[in-house]
Amino acid sequence: MTGLTFDWAGVLGGLPLHWLATGFLTTVCVTATGAALATLFAVPVLGLRIGPPGPGRWTAVAFIELFRNTPLLVQLLFWYFVAYGLLPRGWRDWINEDHGWAALPGGVNLATPEFLAATWGLGVFFAAFLAEELRAGLLAVPKGQREAALSQGMGSWAILVHILLPQALGNAWQPLVGQYLNLMKLSSLATGIGLAEVTYQVRQIESYNSHALEAFAAGTLLYLGLSVVMESALLQFGPRRRGAR
Amino acid sequence: MSVNLDVILRNLDYLLWGRTPEGELGGLLLTVLMAVASGLLALGGGVLLALAAWLWRGWTRRVLFAWASVIRGIPLIFVIFWMYFLLPALLGGDVPSAVSVVLALAWFSAASVMHSTLAGLDALAVGQAEAGVAAGLSRGQVLRWILLPQALANLVPSFVGLFVGLIKDTSLAFIVNVPELTTVASQVNNRTQLYPAEIFLFIAALYFILCCGLSAAARLLAGRTA
Repeated sequence: MTGLTFDWAGVLGGLPLHWLATGFLTTVCVTATGAALATLFAVPVLGLRIGPPGPGRWTAVAFIELFRNTPLLVQLLFWYFVAYGLLPRGWRDWINEDHGWAALPGGVNLATPEFLAATWGLGVFFAAFLAEELRAGLLAVPKGQREAALSQGMGSWAILVHILLPQALGNAWQPLVGQYLNLMKLSSLATGIGLAEVTYQVRQIESYNSHALEAFAAGTLLYLGLSVVMESALLQFGPRRRGAR
Repeated sequence: MSVNLDVILRNLDYLLWGRTPEGELGGLLLTVLMAVASGLLALGGGVLLALAAWLWRGWTRRVLFAWASVIRGIPLIFVIFWMYFLLPALLGGDVPSAVSVVLALAWFSAASVMHSTLAGLDALAVGQAEAGVAAGLSRGQVLRWILLPQALANLVPSFVGLFVGLIKDTSLAFIVNVPELTTVASQVNNRTQLYPAEIFLFIAALYFILCCGLSAAARLLAGRTA
């Protein structure tokens, strides 16, 4: 191939187009499951982190520091090559069986070691980030809110759930959306463990017919489009900061 | 599972500096060099872009912000792919892959440096700029002699955070097969087969020490000057 001329036929038709479509579906799925898992894990991490000093808080701090200070790619390699191998034999056999129920159109299968390792890795990594963003949002809630609730006779659990967390969520929503977008973009690293998402398929097209530039352009536009859609949807339907319009 | 530290010891020099004695940089050494090189480029470039966006608020700023949001909207690995293929096409020659990755990391991080620096400039008290103007300085002089030195001093923790991110991001060079720490670790894993836990936990520990050590040093420094 010479110079920077584009020839879209090699990307937007036949097998490459099919690859891009299944890759996009896989990226969307791994982002959704990873984000759900990260949100689920962030709650206990946050709880322990803001709890009384002691082993619980130390565990949360150690978890957050450990996962924030090592590369996500190394974590994915660890989950895929190490942790997966430590699962009981029966579990691994079950995962490797054919799962018709977990198959999406176009041969996208969600019950594979690659998909599970990627979902788990993204979930654990981003739980640490989400917990820290929520904590920052919690710290930004004025002290008077808690005192006012206390003087109304509310218990500390009720204060947390009904007064503090809703406001913290409003305060932290913008940075939280940023983390969810990061999760979507960093799902591209799962290509390193062989998950057939967009980045993987782009590289496959490149080695299949050398249409590298067109494939990169298509991948770039897919991620950019997904970013724009995710961001506007999350900001539209998310909680608003108190007092903000 | 029994732990086999022998595999680490036998491959320690390869993990730490790859084939450096044979003339090809690699391992942890390459990771650090790539992070430092891209960090310096991103710092210089990002601060210059921030100054441009501060001085010229019209189209220059809009174009720079649009560029930054596109960069933020796509995965870093795609910036690396683009550099990897466009640089040789534009320069008409071979560009070492490690250099392409460094330039991609710098290009990507410069956008964050620009936004942090602008935020740092905006966070300064308005009186600072007004006093400069009242003393007869031009906008450029106010920026150069009054605002920038204060903003940069305040921004050190944020820059350290970005640099820690860069260290972690150098691992993406694995995907384009540049022999930095993650790549050489995966090579050792492919060769030995039996000890993935030892190998990946060891390099995770190396990254952790680098990143945490840097953050701790920055906190110590900030505590001393504050």
